[in-house]
Amino acid sequence: MDLSLTPEQEMLKTAVRSFVQQEYSKETLLQIASPTESSPQEPWVKLTQTGWLGILIPTEYGGEGGSFTDAGVLFEELGRGPVPGPHISSAVLAALTLLEGGTEEQKKEWLPRIATGEVRMVAAVTEAEYGWLESDVRLTAKQNGSEYSLNGSKAYVYDGESATHLLCAARSDGGSEGTNNVGLVIVPADDSGINTRHLPGFAWNLSEITLENVSADASQVLGGALAGGWEALERAEQKAIPVLCAYQVGGSQAIYEISVDYSRTRHQFGTPIGRFQRVQDQVINLLNALDAARWTAYEALWKLDIGREAADSVHLAKAVGSEGYYEACNYAHEVHAGVGSMTEYGLTLHTAASRTLYHYLGDPKFHRIRLADALGL
Amino acid sequence: MDFEPRYTEEQEKFRQEVKAWLKDNVPDGIVHPADPIDLTEEQYQLRRELGRRLGAKGWLWPTAATEYGGGGLDVDYAVVLEEEADAFGLTIPPFYDSGGRLGGASIVVWGSDEQKKFFLPPIFTGSVRTWQLLSEPEAGSDLANVKSTAVKDGDDYVINGQKVFVGSSLGCDYMWTLTVTDTDAKRHENLGWFMIPSTLPGITVQPMDLLISGGESGAGSGVKNTVFFDNVRVPAFNLIGGHNQGWKVATTHLELEHGTGGKITRNAVVDRLFDYCRTTNRRGAPISKDPVAREKLIDVHIEQEIVRLFQMRNYWMSHSRITTTYEGPQASYMRKTLGLKMSRHILDILGPAALTFDPELGASEGHMEAHSRAGIIAIHPGGTTDIQKVIMSRRIGIGREVREQAGALS
Repeated sequence: MDLSLTPEQEMLKTAVRSFVQQEYSKETLLQIASPTESSPQEPWVKLTQTGWLGILIPTEYGGEGGSFTDAGVLFEELGRGPVPGPHISSAVLAALTLLEGGTEEQKKEWLPRIATGEVRMVAAVTEAEYGWLESDVRLTAKQNGSEYSLNGSKAYVYDGESATHLLCAARSDGGSEGTNNVGLVIVPADDSGINTRHLPGFAWNLSEITLENVSADASQVLGGALAGGWEALERAEQKAIPVLCAYQVGGSQAIYEISVDYSRTRHQFGTPIGRFQRVQDQVINLLNALDAARWTAYEALWKLDIGREAADSVHLAKAVGSEGYYEACNYAHEVHAGVGSMTEYGLTLHTAASRTLYHYLGDPKFHRIRLADALGL
Repeated sequence: MDFEPRYTEEQEKFRQEVKAWLKDNVPDGIVHPADPIDLTEEQYQLRRELGRRLGAKGWLWPTAATEYGGGGLDVDYAVVLEEEADAFGLTIPPFYDSGGRLGGASIVVWGSDEQKKFFLPPIFTGSVRTWQLLSEPEAGSDLANVKSTAVKDGDDYVINGQKVFVGSSLGCDYMWTLTVTDTDAKRHENLGWFMIPSTLPGITVQPMDLLISGGESGAGSGVKNTVFFDNVRVPAFNLIGGHNQGWKVATTHLELEHGTGGKITRNAVVDRLFDYCRTTNRRGAPISKDPVAREKLIDVHIEQEIVRLFQMRNYWMSHSRITTTYEGPQASYMRKTLGLKMSRHILDILGPAALTFDPELGASEGHMEAHSRAGIIAIHPGGTTDIQKVIMSRRIGIGREVREQAGALS
């Protein structure tokens, strides 16, 4: 047993942390999040130049060939920002889906460009009747010879706006609701039949994407056929989820640190507020949520790395991680009171992220049900 | 990272040796009552006999130094022993001896060479059972507020006072305690830590009537007692750590009691609950197929996994000699709150069957009834959940001006 990071992982952690501090200052993050200001592009360009987006992509496809724990370390640090995507959506979920189900040609075509950030491929899975099951996919792919025509609408797509390409879940037209009817089609996001709309409000980087007579050929269908595509996505999700959980852990860690700091330096009634046990309760609850999320995430990453059956750990990690980040933000708001609600303070960046990521790749309720199945209950 | 204990070939050989030895030496007829209060004298003596046999091999306190009768084994070997004992439903030691566990560790850190030679071998070889005497009517969470006194008189101290929530059923050989040695000295600088033979004149033990006892690690205690000291003369040799140095000694066992050592064991009540729900039908289907029951079982599973991971982290930290801060009390807090939540879930899932040990209308041979009582009671021994949060706050540097250090464990 050894729960420490390797020296290389420690170096990676340090490097990413200083990168985030330098390139994604609170001011930059607020500017990116602002609906009225134009987003600075340089930080993202610099992020793509680090090569980190290729962390899970094998070296033969231009990536770094890192372990899942390596990816956990990287994304935990990015989560501290929280540095906005499309990184997990493209470099983790889409890349893993290509690895799980793509043809050799598709892997060669897409993975090197995902690793450099030239291609930002985002899986468009969920629709208006939100859900992460195969049966929730309604968007159709009508086959005509070797051509497909896609029609339908995707909703609540995370990172959808920043995508250059979509990995779109589609049901074969006329196919029953049985299995093997849903596959994945790679389409350029700037196709004239595609319309992407930002969802306004509290949501963090969610959009609606409609597809109208978008055509694709067999080379764009993951694995060359719709059949088997959904299974590849599910296998990829199982691996992407613990990485996402590490990202949530990074967010919780960052707000834990500012909450400890604030409770030491903020004075009310003539004393630091951290002296009050009511305030201590909030910080301790935050720390417990953070540590629970941390160790469930890293145990799942470890299981993936050693190739062990990880389903129960993955569902556990997402249920605990999503609730953890959500609750951690609430506790941090309790510590900070009015100050925490001020946009310029930065806490609300995490609050928004925690709500959106709560659902991304399945919410706690979904994963609790899957966990019960995995345990054979 | 590696979340699994790795065993060397030598350790696996050791496991085979332990397995075979336990098979030959665990007495026939050992039973495990749902409430340790039902442990009979005969059952207790079977466990003591096993303890002496383990002690003769150095396996009763495997990590303690051989010169004091311990096994001198690496903690990895101790884990193997605990795992194999667990297969028999037993702990190491196989009887309630928290006084030995925590007192022994304190004497190792703070005792003089002569004291170590005198007090430790009987504990580590299993010839004595020891109780700890901490709480008093006026000293619960605020342990430093003890009122019992030890007054120096020649070569002795004369002890007077009352201790509560002490020990177990069926008596002990030694008691260790914390009393005021200097009524004029400042708080934390006024205490003495004594190792006391239980047969000294003036000691009276009176069982308390409680809903249930428990919440400590190791074998359950069953009964808790009030202990009265009435002019008990204790040789000054039995004072550990020096005059007015008792609080320093106490920080060692308090740290251990607050969960810093860490353990990698499953929660037996969780296992029993899952087994029961999988194998018991209600209205024609296993309880575990009921949607509401499933939700609650998953809650229990998730909380249990978090506790397991925290305990594993603590085990790894203490094993790797990484200094802990808040981690011990955090694991204790989570373990206790899990127990309390679980008692509610058991009540929801099983209904009133959770409240009786009736062989026909109760559940899981009375274990669910026992947990229904223990859930709320077990959150208090060894520091209440609120106290664990207070300690955590100090350790992360928000409760006081100076960040508090963890107690010395070596």
